[in-house]
Amino acid sequence: MKNRLRLLRAERDWSQAELAERLGVSRQTVNAIETGKYDPSLPLAFALARLFEQRIEELFQPDDTPVVRNP
Amino acid sequence: MNSRAVTPAPSRRSLVLSFLVPAAFVLAYFAARAGIEEVEPGSAIALALALFPVPFFALLIYAYVRAVRGMDELGRRMQLEALAFAFPIAVLVVFTVGLLDLAGFHGTHDWDLPRLWPLMLLPYWAGLALAQRRYA
Repeated sequence: MKNRLRLLRAERDWSQAELAERLGVSRQTVNAIETGKYDPSLPLAFALARLFEQRIEELFQPDDTPVVRNP
Repeated sequence: MNSRAVTPAPSRRSLVLSFLVPAAFVLAYFAARAGIEEVEPGSAIALALALFPVPFFALLIYAYVRAVRGMDELGRRMQLEALAFAFPIAVLVVFTVGLLDLAGFHGTHDWDLPRLWPLMLLPYWAGLALAQRRYA
């Protein structure tokens, strides 16, 4: 799963530790999500979306976007 | 949905559960072992000594479960992966030692279960290190 977390965090000038504290998770968790090594649970994804005032699908995109065929 | 705003600082209670409880169990275990070697095998006192560490281990399980519940979701995932790695290895060790015993290879007390079980922590630590590396 790709995500825009690092970009959005940089725009707000937050460190990983600051974001982690706001979410109530460890800095390692924030780093693992940003680097795509860990996909967050739905509650955490909603918390991220709420924090960055984005929709979940604006924050996270699947690695292989499905090909839309013409009908 | 449950999302905490701030990661709580470790309380004195959690520190006690993290350090004192494991230390108490280790002390109880080695005290029981030392005591058992001094009393008559099969006696009531030997039975009492053999069961002496059980409540300490129960407390250890409580402390571990509490610690895992206090972790965030990635911490819990890493604990699960460490245990998923360690548990089958522990089962493998137990049944292999049991089969070796049945096969008549029970002469060496260096490799019996009471001496072997502390080594079962090694796969857990290895699994935890692998999980830490995976998500680092």
